[in-house]
Amino acid sequence: MTLKALGALIAATGVLVASLPAGAQGPIRIGASLSLTGTYAKLGNYMHEGYKLCAKELNARGGLLGRKVEFVVYDDQSMPATGVRLYEKLITEDKVEAVMGPYSSPITEAVVNVTEKYKKVAVSPLAATTSIFKRPPDKKRYYIFMIISPAEVYLEGLIDMAAKRGLKTVAILNEDTLFAKAAANGAAEIARKKGLQVVFQEGYPKGNQDFSAILTKIRAANPDVVAGSTYFDDAVAITRQMKELNLNPKMYGLTVGGDLPEFYTLLKQNAEYIYGATQWEKALPYPGNKEFNEAYTKEFGREPVYHSAAGYAGCQVYVEAVKRAGTLDADKVRDVLLKLEMKTAFGDYRVDQDGFQIAHKMVMTQWQDGKKVIVWPDELATGKPRYPMPAWNQR
Amino acid sequence: MNVVVTPTMVGQVVISGILAGALYAMVALGLALIFGVMRVINIAHGPLLMLGAYTTYFLYAGLGLNPYLSVPVSMAVLFVIGAVLQRTLVFRVVDAPELSSLLLTFGISIALVNLAQLAFTSDLRAVEYLTGSWGLGPFAFSKTRVLAFVFAAGVTTLAFLLLQRTRLGRAIRATSQSREVAMVCGVNVGRIHTITFGLASALAAAGGALIAVVVAVQPEMGQVWTFKSFLVIVLGGAGNYPGALLGGVLLGLVEQIASLFLTSQLSEVVAYVLLVVVLLVRPTGLLGGRQT
Amino acid sequence: MTLAPRAFLTGLAVLAAALALYPIVGTGYGVRAMLQLFMWIALAGSWNLISGLTGYVSFGHVAFFGAGAYAGAILIAKAGWPWLPAALAGGAAACVLALVIGYPCLRLKGPYFAIAMLGLNEVLRALTSYFEGLTGGGSGLSLPTLHATVPIYYAMALAAAGVTLLTYLIITSRFGLRLMTIREDEVAAEAMGIDTARHKLYAFLLSAAGPGVVGALAARDQGYIEPISVFPLATTITMIVMALFGGKGTVWGPVLGAIVLFVSQEIVWARFPYVHQLLFGAIIAAVVLLMPRGVLGLLQTKYRLPRTL
Repeated sequence: MTLKALGALIAATGVLVASLPAGAQGPIRIGASLSLTGTYAKLGNYMHEGYKLCAKELNARGGLLGRKVEFVVYDDQSMPATGVRLYEKLITEDKVEAVMGPYSSPITEAVVNVTEKYKKVAVSPLAATTSIFKRPPDKKRYYIFMIISPAEVYLEGLIDMAAKRGLKTVAILNEDTLFAKAAANGAAEIARKKGLQVVFQEGYPKGNQDFSAILTKIRAANPDVVAGSTYFDDAVAITRQMKELNLNPKMYGLTVGGDLPEFYTLLKQNAEYIYGATQWEKALPYPGNKEFNEAYTKEFGREPVYHSAAGYAGCQVYVEAVKRAGTLDADKVRDVLLKLEMKTAFGDYRVDQDGFQIAHKMVMTQWQDGKKVIVWPDELATGKPRYPMPAWNQR
Repeated sequence: MNVVVTPTMVGQVVISGILAGALYAMVALGLALIFGVMRVINIAHGPLLMLGAYTTYFLYAGLGLNPYLSVPVSMAVLFVIGAVLQRTLVFRVVDAPELSSLLLTFGISIALVNLAQLAFTSDLRAVEYLTGSWGLGPFAFSKTRVLAFVFAAGVTTLAFLLLQRTRLGRAIRATSQSREVAMVCGVNVGRIHTITFGLASALAAAGGALIAVVVAVQPEMGQVWTFKSFLVIVLGGAGNYPGALLGGVLLGLVEQIASLFLTSQLSEVVAYVLLVVVLLVRPTGLLGGRQT
Repeated sequence: MTLAPRAFLTGLAVLAAALALYPIVGTGYGVRAMLQLFMWIALAGSWNLISGLTGYVSFGHVAFFGAGAYAGAILIAKAGWPWLPAALAGGAAACVLALVIGYPCLRLKGPYFAIAMLGLNEVLRALTSYFEGLTGGGSGLSLPTLHATVPIYYAMALAAAGVTLLTYLIITSRFGLRLMTIREDEVAAEAMGIDTARHKLYAFLLSAAGPGVVGALAARDQGYIEPISVFPLATTITMIVMALFGGKGTVWGPVLGAIVLFVSQEIVWARFPYVHQLLFGAIIAAVVLLMPRGVLGLLQTKYRLPRTL
């Protein structure tokens, strides 16, 4: 009895959410689950704003295929299992006509099984792990598309600059999670290719606050370069503790964290000389980037970060593909997306046959006098890197 | 990975371990007090520490108050919050089976974290007050951690003086040894419970205030401290107050040395395996505590 | 069962038939939500077997769920096992784990047992992160794509029914009576000649099997697992609160608790994401303070309902 009531209740919820009839003249509803709460809440919300701005601008210009566009977004609490259930709900209960990807690699890895099952194109703006896209032939995925550069190349810029300066040794530390570990392994791989020796590599558990032991080991290895594959609070803690332990590499760079504005607000002059890897910067000369910055800041009262820009651009890429295909049909949109070459406020978009991003470029920034300066690659640089990093006690 | 451990490195992590240990001891002493006096395992201890850290942050960011001067203020604020929690909710599970207190304090814990997210957002904050270290030979003494050590040692000493030398302290210890006898001797047990919970929250707040200068302040920073405090009081003997000191320093050393010789991940394993072994071999803790 | 057992059994049979037919009419989400509900029934019921009956509070019961999830996922991904035997192996793995840790840890009393279980869960989480050759470490383990939600739905339903039936059989047996004697007074039970150590261990093993099986099933259904998502303390708490809400130590309590809490969570979380944890905290506090014996416990006292409900 109760179970039947449950069925009815679930159905009723579905009907309530699907408040608008999905007729031909109704809006095109695009479903997504995002990490609005939980561990990834901060970045998930930035991404959500990117989606919202994209839809707003699109509707102001007349919508898509003559219809308005509307996002149906649920909170997955930063948990893969919840994400899976939500995509199932979006597709089978809410009957959304299209979906966009969630935030983070682990959640994408889990929900892509659902979107593939229902043959929905899932442009996934913030899934950076190669293994989600590059799969053995019998496990191939067809409808997922990547927007950002893969985790493995996050620290390429740091290593490349180090190699050009003739530095010899690098130490790598990373949070032991899907994305951070992929970035660390990628950095080690690139370092070896460019002739640097990886003298130390170790992971630490998520939520770790004390890095004394790991940094003591790095100090003993005395590397020229320290590369951290971090999320954010760990980036702050590692930097502070490096100073405390007088660990003075010639170059020190981070993945996520080093590039965020808060990094400088929190660390002040101690953030100087530190390199940060980022997918996007507001200073980059991409088409529409300036306008995106202005519109975003006006709409949400804060400046965008790369997660906002990726969400925004991912939505634009999908919309462009639908326009060119003239339909929401997954197979036709897929064909367009596989061939599409596009420049957005976020940079270049082009994928290979696995939907794997091959055109977008990472950039490396460095904090100089409280400003983020793009120092790599040369063709996008807005300034010269300051080298080497002075000892902590000589600033 | 290819790093040869030298005696200097061992010395360095021993220093880090002892410095961290004092902080662990102070925070865990709060948990030990609540457990000793009320038989309540307080899972909300970590989130209370988080509130202490926020108090310090806002006093620093808003009024420019020196974070070390804010330690007593954070303690006072959290004493009141703790006392209110005790009077409104926790008093009802005193002496209840452990299941009730575990669940209730877990509920309080997630509610506090959620409230903090609503009130303060999930943005990271930091009290960028003091960085770097003092050098002594080949060893580095982190300034913030040395100060945290000094304050933690001071606060813990005061707490012990309070427990040992004052009338109130005797009443608390009496209540923890035998509630009935304490009652017969004219101790207002309800009041002692409220004061104990307030005091324990204040100790957590002191920990929060001191690590606000060391790590980033955010709503979820506290949980890991609940677990660390569990480890400390089990190692030292639940309900055994001096045991918390030993447990704290021991945990600090074990974590650091295991991270040095193995990896940070295995240091967690080592700490918990130690917990289980101690529980099995000496369920009353290394210094001996009281059986329930 | 004194209340019209025939009507009750008929009702159950109708319900079973309705549930068996549900995947034909239900949407993908409906089937998946029900599958999750079955999972929670099995988890809450299993926790009830050790903690509700013997009074030993397992505060790390998700360890068995995680162990089953990893055992099953490794067999599927690395050894190419079909999911059904892998799920059974997940249950077996959880039982082995329960045997290894139950033997020493069940000697601990009260809060010490609870803390030890909590600690063991953390150890397992850290170990799965560390042995990355086998488990994929912090990067997690991705299973081959397989769309088997409906068969897994039936398997999950069987697991939930199995745990509930097992609870009924235990509660109505002498074994169950002995367990409850241990709960009420372990010393007295010992004095009565009950081999308490052995009884507690049996109950512990039985309570680990269910989470092991559903852990492996959940891993297969989800297709991707990582240490932080299969060993969370919140999962343990949720199963406890479900059992407690319905009534611990009863047959139908965990079922009722799982249904009510799961449905309200699904609805709450969709509507109020930003206060979800706050509401859950309030529910926990309300259950602990206002109805520690649960809905069925209250009814049993008030209307003198049978103990075997």
